[in-house]
Amino acid sequence: MSTAPHFIPKWPLTCFFSDSENHAEFTLVQKKVLIVDDSPAQVRLIQGLLEPEGYWPVGLSDPKRVEEAIAVEKPNVILLDVVMPERNGFQVCRELKGNVKFNAIPVILVTSKDTASDRYWGQQQGADGYVTKPFTREELLRAVRRFV
Amino acid sequence: MERQLPGLSVVTSDLWKEGDSVVCDLIVIGPLKEQRPAELLASIAPSTAVILCAPSDPKELALLRKHYPRLLHVPLREDWTQVILLVAGESLRRTEALRLAKQAEQRAAQNSNDAVLGRYMIDMKHNVNNAMTSLLGNAELLLLEPGELSAQSLAQIKTIHTMALRINEIMQRFSSLASEMREVETPSQAETEDAIPTPFPRR
Repeated sequence: MSTAPHFIPKWPLTCFFSDSENHAEFTLVQKKVLIVDDSPAQVRLIQGLLEPEGYWPVGLSDPKRVEEAIAVEKPNVILLDVVMPERNGFQVCRELKGNVKFNAIPVILVTSKDTASDRYWGQQQGADGYVTKPFTREELLRAVRRFV
Repeated sequence: MERQLPGLSVVTSDLWKEGDSVVCDLIVIGPLKEQRPAELLASIAPSTAVILCAPSDPKELALLRKHYPRLLHVPLREDWTQVILLVAGESLRRTEALRLAKQAEQRAAQNSNDAVLGRYMIDMKHNVNNAMTSLLGNAELLLLEPGELSAQSLAQIKTIHTMALRINEIMQRFSSLASEMREVETPSQAETEDAIPTPFPRR
Protein backbone atom coordinates (compact mmCIF):
# COMPACT_ATOMS: atom_id res chain seq x y z
CA MET A 1 0.00 0.00 0.00
CA SER A 2 1.41 3.35 -0.88
CA THR A 3 -0.06 6.08 1.27
CA ALA A 4 1.82 8.78 -0.56
CA PRO A 5 2.72 11.42 0.35
CA HIS A 6 4.18 9.91 3.48
CA PHE A 7 5.98 11.40 6.39
CA ILE A 8 8.08 9.34 8.78
CA PRO A 9 9.24 11.13 11.92
CA LYS A 10 11.21 9.60 14.79
CA TRP A 11 8.95 7.19 16.65
CA PRO A 12 8.60 6.88 19.57
CA LEU A 13 10.31 10.03 20.73
CA THR A 14 12.29 9.40 23.87
CA CYS A 15 13.26 12.32 26.07
CA PHE A 16 15.10 12.74 29.33
CA PHE A 17 13.89 15.18 31.92
CA SER A 18 15.86 15.90 35.03
CA ASP A 19 15.40 17.94 38.12
CA SER A 20 17.30 18.27 41.41
CA GLU A 21 15.42 15.47 43.18
CA ASN A 22 15.13 12.62 40.73
CA HIS A 23 15.90 11.60 37.24
CA ALA A 24 13.24 10.08 35.13
CA GLU A 25 12.89 8.90 31.59
CA PHE A 26 9.70 9.62 29.75
CA THR A 27 8.60 8.36 26.44
CA LEU A 28 6.64 11.07 24.68
CA VAL A 29 4.05 9.46 22.51
CA GLN A 30 3.53 11.52 19.42
CA LYS A 31 -0.06 11.94 18.37
CA LYS A 32 -0.69 10.65 14.90
CA VAL A 33 -2.78 12.76 12.55
CA LEU A 34 -4.14 11.29 9.34
CA ILE A 35 -4.52 13.96 6.66
CA VAL A 36 -6.89 13.03 3.85
CA ASP A 37 -6.77 15.46 0.92
CA ASP A 38 -6.69 14.80 -2.80
CA SER A 39 -4.15 17.59 -3.23
CA PRO A 40 -0.63 16.40 -2.32
CA ALA A 41 0.43 20.04 -1.95
CA GLN A 42 -2.21 20.60 0.74
CA VAL A 43 -1.18 17.37 2.49
CA ARG A 44 2.46 18.44 2.52
CA LEU A 45 1.51 21.85 3.82
CA ILE A 46 -0.55 20.50 6.73
CA GLN A 47 2.21 18.02 7.52
CA GLY A 48 4.68 20.89 7.60
CA LEU A 49 2.45 22.88 9.97
CA LEU A 50 1.84 19.98 12.37
CA GLU A 51 5.31 18.47 12.50
CA PRO A 52 7.04 21.28 14.44
CA GLU A 53 4.29 21.00 17.07
CA GLY A 54 5.24 17.38 17.79
CA TYR A 55 2.48 15.68 15.84
CA TRP A 56 3.07 12.70 13.59
CA PRO A 57 1.25 13.61 10.39
CA VAL A 58 0.46 10.90 7.85
CA GLY A 59 -0.91 11.86 4.46
CA LEU A 60 -3.39 10.12 2.22
CA SER A 61 -4.45 11.42 -1.19
CA ASP A 62 -6.96 8.71 -2.06
CA PRO A 63 -10.23 9.04 -0.10
CA LYS A 64 -11.29 5.52 -1.12
CA ARG A 65 -8.55 4.06 1.05
CA VAL A 66 -9.32 5.88 4.29
CA GLU A 67 -10.44 2.77 6.22
CA GLU A 68 -7.37 0.88 5.03
CA ALA A 69 -5.10 3.72 6.13
CA ILE A 70 -6.81 3.98 9.53
CA ALA A 71 -6.38 0.23 10.10
CA VAL A 72 -2.66 0.49 9.33
CA GLU A 73 -1.81 3.85 10.88
CA LYS A 74 -4.26 3.96 13.81
CA PRO A 75 -4.42 7.78 13.91
CA ASN A 76 -5.53 9.80 16.94
CA VAL A 77 -7.33 12.32 14.79
CA ILE A 78 -8.32 12.64 11.13
CA LEU A 79 -8.15 15.83 9.10
CA LEU A 80 -10.51 15.32 6.20
CA ASP A 81 -10.95 17.43 3.08
CA VAL A 82 -14.50 17.61 1.69
CA VAL A 83 -14.28 18.30 -2.04
CA MET A 84 -12.55 15.20 -3.37
CA PRO A 85 -13.16 13.07 -6.45
CA GLU A 86 -15.10 9.80 -6.24
CA ARG A 87 -15.71 9.95 -2.49
CA ASN A 88 -16.26 13.31 -0.80
CA GLY A 89 -15.39 14.14 2.78
CA PHE A 90 -19.01 14.19 3.94
CA GLN A 91 -19.45 10.63 2.67
CA VAL A 92 -16.19 9.48 4.27
CA CYS A 93 -17.12 11.09 7.57
CA ARG A 94 -20.63 9.60 7.56
CA GLU A 95 -19.24 6.12 6.85
CA LEU A 96 -16.52 6.38 9.49
CA LYS A 97 -18.99 7.53 12.12
CA GLY A 98 -21.32 4.71 11.18
CA ASN A 99 -18.61 2.13 11.68
CA VAL A 100 -18.00 0.97 15.27
CA LYS A 101 -14.36 0.23 14.45
CA PHE A 102 -13.62 3.86 13.58
CA ASN A 103 -16.29 6.05 15.10
CA ALA A 104 -14.25 6.93 18.21
CA ILE A 105 -11.60 8.73 16.16
CA PRO A 106 -12.26 12.48 16.01
CA VAL A 107 -12.79 13.77 12.47
CA ILE A 108 -12.06 17.40 11.63
CA LEU A 109 -13.33 18.55 8.27
CA VAL A 110 -10.81 20.87 6.59
CA THR A 111 -12.53 22.47 3.66
CA SER A 112 -13.05 25.51 1.50
CA LYS A 113 -16.82 25.05 1.87
CA ASP A 114 -17.52 27.88 4.27
CA THR A 115 -21.26 28.46 4.45
CA ALA A 116 -23.36 27.88 7.55
CA SER A 117 -25.25 25.13 5.72
CA ASP A 118 -21.96 23.36 4.90
CA ARG A 119 -20.97 23.47 8.59
CA TYR A 120 -24.40 22.21 9.60
CA TRP A 121 -24.21 19.40 7.06
CA GLY A 122 -20.72 18.47 8.29
CA GLN A 123 -22.08 18.30 11.83
CA GLN A 124 -24.92 16.10 10.63
CA GLN A 125 -22.39 13.67 9.19
CA GLY A 126 -20.83 13.35 12.64
CA ALA A 127 -17.77 15.59 12.19
CA ASP A 128 -16.17 16.64 15.48
CA GLY A 129 -14.54 19.80 14.14
CA TYR A 130 -14.65 22.12 11.15
CA VAL A 131 -11.79 24.25 9.77
CA THR A 132 -12.34 26.40 6.70
CA LYS A 133 -9.68 26.97 4.08
CA PRO A 134 -7.70 29.11 3.95
CA PHE A 135 -6.74 28.70 7.61
CA THR A 136 -3.91 30.14 9.61
CA ARG A 137 -1.46 27.86 11.39
CA GLU A 138 -3.03 28.87 14.70
CA GLU A 139 -6.56 27.98 13.55
CA LEU A 140 -5.43 24.54 12.42
CA LEU A 141 -3.49 23.84 15.61
CA ARG A 142 -6.37 25.05 17.80
CA ALA A 143 -8.72 22.61 16.05
CA VAL A 144 -6.31 19.67 16.42
CA ARG A 145 -5.45 20.49 20.05
CA ARG A 146 -9.10 20.13 21.00
CA PHE A 147 -8.71 16.40 20.52
CA VAL A 148 -5.01 15.51 20.90
CA MET B 1 -48.43 61.88 -6.27
CA GLU B 2 -47.72 64.35 -9.04
CA ARG B 3 -49.90 63.84 -12.07
CA GLN B 4 -47.93 63.52 -15.26
CA LEU B 5 -49.52 65.26 -18.21
CA PRO B 6 -48.51 64.43 -21.77
CA GLY B 7 -46.68 67.12 -23.74
CA LEU B 8 -48.70 68.24 -26.75
CA SER B 9 -47.63 69.67 -30.10
CA VAL B 10 -50.28 70.91 -32.50
CA VAL B 11 -49.20 71.17 -36.12
CA THR B 12 -51.33 72.11 -39.11
CA SER B 13 -50.98 69.88 -42.13
CA ASP B 14 -49.34 72.61 -44.24
CA LEU B 15 -46.52 72.89 -41.68
CA TRP B 16 -45.99 69.12 -41.61
CA LYS B 17 -42.95 68.53 -43.78
CA GLU B 18 -42.40 65.16 -45.32
CA GLY B 19 -39.00 63.80 -44.41
CA ASP B 20 -38.96 65.37 -40.94
CA SER B 21 -38.18 62.77 -38.35
CA VAL B 22 -41.03 62.73 -35.85
CA VAL B 23 -40.47 61.37 -32.35
CA CYS B 24 -43.56 61.18 -30.21
CA ASP B 25 -45.66 58.64 -28.33
CA LEU B 26 -48.93 59.30 -30.13
CA ILE B 27 -50.07 61.18 -33.23
CA VAL B 28 -53.67 62.24 -33.65
CA ILE B 29 -54.56 63.20 -37.18
CA GLY B 30 -57.71 65.27 -37.67
CA PRO B 31 -59.63 65.99 -40.86
CA LEU B 32 -57.29 66.99 -43.69
CA LYS B 33 -58.03 69.59 -46.34
CA GLU B 34 -55.95 68.52 -49.31
CA GLN B 35 -53.53 65.77 -48.28
CA ARG B 36 -54.28 62.08 -48.06
CA PRO B 37 -53.50 60.44 -44.68
CA ALA B 38 -50.93 58.20 -46.44
CA GLU B 39 -48.90 61.23 -47.54
CA LEU B 40 -48.91 62.60 -44.04
CA LEU B 41 -47.94 59.32 -42.44
CA ALA B 42 -45.03 58.72 -44.80
CA SER B 43 -42.52 60.36 -42.44
CA ILE B 44 -43.73 58.52 -39.32
CA ALA B 45 -42.12 55.37 -37.97
CA PRO B 46 -44.46 52.36 -38.41
CA SER B 47 -44.28 51.53 -34.69
CA THR B 48 -45.74 54.94 -33.70
CA ALA B 49 -49.27 54.94 -32.30
CA VAL B 50 -51.58 56.88 -34.60
CA ILE B 51 -55.21 57.85 -34.18
CA LEU B 52 -56.80 58.85 -37.42
CA CYS B 53 -59.80 60.98 -36.69
CA ALA B 54 -60.82 61.78 -40.22
CA PRO B 55 -63.13 60.42 -42.88
CA SER B 56 -61.30 57.71 -44.71
CA ASP B 57 -61.98 55.28 -47.46
CA PRO B 58 -62.16 51.74 -45.99
CA LYS B 59 -59.75 50.40 -48.64
CA GLU B 60 -57.22 53.11 -47.89
CA LEU B 61 -57.61 52.43 -44.18
CA ALA B 62 -56.94 48.73 -44.67
CA LEU B 63 -53.78 49.55 -46.64
CA LEU B 64 -52.61 52.02 -43.99
CA ARG B 65 -53.16 49.44 -41.25
CA LYS B 66 -50.77 47.10 -43.05
CA HIS B 67 -47.97 49.68 -42.77
CA TYR B 68 -49.03 51.07 -39.39
CA PRO B 69 -50.23 48.22 -37.19
CA ARG B 70 -50.88 50.63 -34.31
CA LEU B 71 -53.22 52.83 -36.36
CA LEU B 72 -56.66 53.38 -34.86
CA HIS B 73 -59.56 54.99 -36.67
CA VAL B 74 -62.06 57.14 -34.80
CA PRO B 75 -65.02 58.00 -37.04
CA LEU B 76 -66.26 61.56 -36.89
CA ARG B 77 -69.45 61.10 -34.94
CA GLU B 78 -71.12 63.21 -32.28
CA ASP B 79 -69.05 61.87 -29.40
CA TRP B 80 -65.71 61.79 -31.27
CA THR B 81 -63.99 64.09 -28.73
CA GLN B 82 -64.85 61.76 -25.85
CA VAL B 83 -63.76 58.71 -27.84
CA ILE B 84 -60.48 60.33 -28.85
CA LEU B 85 -59.68 61.26 -25.25
CA LEU B 86 -60.37 57.73 -24.11
CA VAL B 87 -58.39 56.08 -26.91
CA ALA B 88 -55.49 58.55 -26.58
CA GLY B 89 -55.31 57.95 -22.83
CA GLU B 90 -55.24 54.19 -23.31
CA SER B 91 -52.72 54.48 -26.10
CA LEU B 92 -50.36 56.59 -23.96
CA ARG B 93 -50.73 54.15 -21.07
CA ARG B 94 -49.86 51.32 -23.42
CA THR B 95 -46.80 53.24 -24.66
CA GLU B 96 -45.70 53.81 -21.06
CA ALA B 97 -46.29 50.14 -20.20
CA LEU B 98 -44.22 49.11 -23.22
CA ARG B 99 -41.43 51.47 -22.17
CA LEU B 100 -41.44 50.01 -18.64
CA ALA B 101 -41.50 46.47 -20.01
CA LYS B 102 -38.51 47.26 -22.22
CA GLN B 103 -36.66 48.73 -19.24
CA ALA B 104 -37.48 45.65 -17.15
CA GLU B 105 -36.27 43.43 -20.00
CA GLN B 106 -32.96 45.32 -20.12
CA ARG B 107 -32.59 45.10 -16.34
CA ALA B 108 -33.37 41.37 -16.44
CA ALA B 109 -30.71 40.86 -19.12
CA GLN B 110 -28.21 42.81 -17.00
CA ASN B 111 -29.17 40.82 -13.89
CA SER B 112 -28.77 37.60 -15.82
CA ASN B 113 -25.23 38.63 -16.83
CA ASP B 114 -24.45 39.56 -13.23
CA ALA B 115 -25.85 36.22 -12.05
CA VAL B 116 -23.56 34.33 -14.44
CA LEU B 117 -20.62 36.30 -13.08
CA GLY B 118 -21.74 35.63 -9.49
CA ARG B 119 -22.15 31.91 -10.12
CA TYR B 120 -18.72 31.78 -11.72
CA MET B 121 -17.21 33.51 -8.68
CA ILE B 122 -18.94 31.11 -6.30
CA ASP B 123 -17.65 28.16 -8.36
CA MET B 124 -14.16 29.60 -8.34
CA LYS B 125 -14.21 30.35 -4.60
CA HIS B 126 -13.26 26.77 -3.81
CA ASN B 127 -10.18 26.96 -6.06
CA VAL B 128 -9.23 30.38 -4.74
CA ASN B 129 -9.52 29.17 -1.14
CA ASN B 130 -7.35 26.13 -1.87
CA ALA B 131 -4.73 28.29 -3.54
CA MET B 132 -4.89 30.73 -0.63
CA THR B 133 -4.38 27.88 1.84
CA SER B 134 -1.10 26.99 0.12
CA LEU B 135 0.00 30.60 -0.11
CA LEU B 136 -0.80 31.44 3.49
CA GLY B 137 0.40 28.12 4.92
CA ASN B 138 3.71 28.08 3.09
CA ALA B 139 4.40 31.67 4.07
CA GLU B 140 3.70 30.70 7.70
CA LEU B 141 5.99 27.68 7.39
CA LEU B 142 8.82 29.88 6.13
CA LEU B 143 8.19 32.37 8.93
CA LEU B 144 8.52 29.57 11.50
CA GLU B 145 12.27 29.66 10.99
CA PRO B 146 13.09 33.34 10.49
CA GLY B 147 16.77 32.79 11.33
CA GLU B 148 17.32 30.88 8.10
CA LEU B 149 16.22 33.80 5.95
CA SER B 150 17.96 37.01 4.98
CA ALA B 151 16.37 40.22 6.25
CA GLN B 152 15.16 41.02 2.76
CA SER B 153 13.60 37.56 2.19
CA LEU B 154 11.98 37.72 5.61
CA ALA B 155 10.43 41.10 4.80
CA GLN B 156 9.21 39.81 1.44
CA ILE B 157 7.64 36.69 2.96
CA LYS B 158 5.96 38.83 5.62
CA THR B 159 4.51 40.95 2.82
CA ILE B 160 3.24 37.82 1.03
CA HIS B 161 1.71 36.62 4.30
CA THR B 162 0.02 39.98 4.99
CA MET B 163 -1.34 40.19 1.46
CA ALA B 164 -2.60 36.60 1.63
CA LEU B 165 -4.46 37.47 4.84
CA ARG B 166 -5.92 40.53 3.12
CA ILE B 167 -7.16 38.47 0.16
CA ASN B 168 -8.59 36.00 2.65
CA GLU B 169 -10.54 38.83 4.33
CA ILE B 170 -11.85 39.97 0.94
CA MET B 171 -12.97 36.44 0.11
CA GLN B 172 -14.68 36.13 3.49
CA ARG B 173 -16.51 39.40 2.90
CA PHE B 174 -17.56 38.07 -0.49
CA SER B 175 -18.83 34.87 1.16
CA SER B 176 -20.82 36.85 3.75
CA LEU B 177 -22.30 38.99 0.99
CA ALA B 178 -23.26 35.89 -0.99
CA SER B 179 -24.97 34.30 2.02
CA GLU B 180 -26.71 37.59 2.93
CA MET B 181 -28.03 37.81 -0.62
CA ARG B 182 -29.28 34.23 -0.41
CA GLU B 183 -31.07 35.07 2.87
CA VAL B 184 -32.72 38.12 1.31
CA GLU B 185 -33.54 36.30 -1.91
CA THR B 186 -35.32 33.37 -0.30
CA PRO B 187 -38.11 35.33 1.50
CA SER B 188 -38.51 37.76 -1.40
CA GLN B 189 -38.78 34.86 -3.82
CA ALA B 190 -41.36 33.20 -1.59
CA GLU B 191 -43.34 36.46 -1.43
CA THR B 192 -43.19 36.81 -5.21
CA GLU B 193 -44.36 33.25 -5.69
CA ASP B 194 -47.21 33.88 -3.22
CA ALA B 195 -48.23 37.01 -5.08
CA ILE B 196 -48.52 35.20 -8.42
CA PRO B 197 -52.00 33.71 -8.70
CA THR B 198 -52.06 30.00 -9.29
CA PRO B 199 -53.60 29.14 -12.65
CA PHE B 200 -55.44 26.16 -11.18
CA PRO B 201 -56.46 26.99 -7.62
CA ARG B 202 -56.93 24.07 -5.25
CA ARG B 203 -60.47 23.24 -4.35
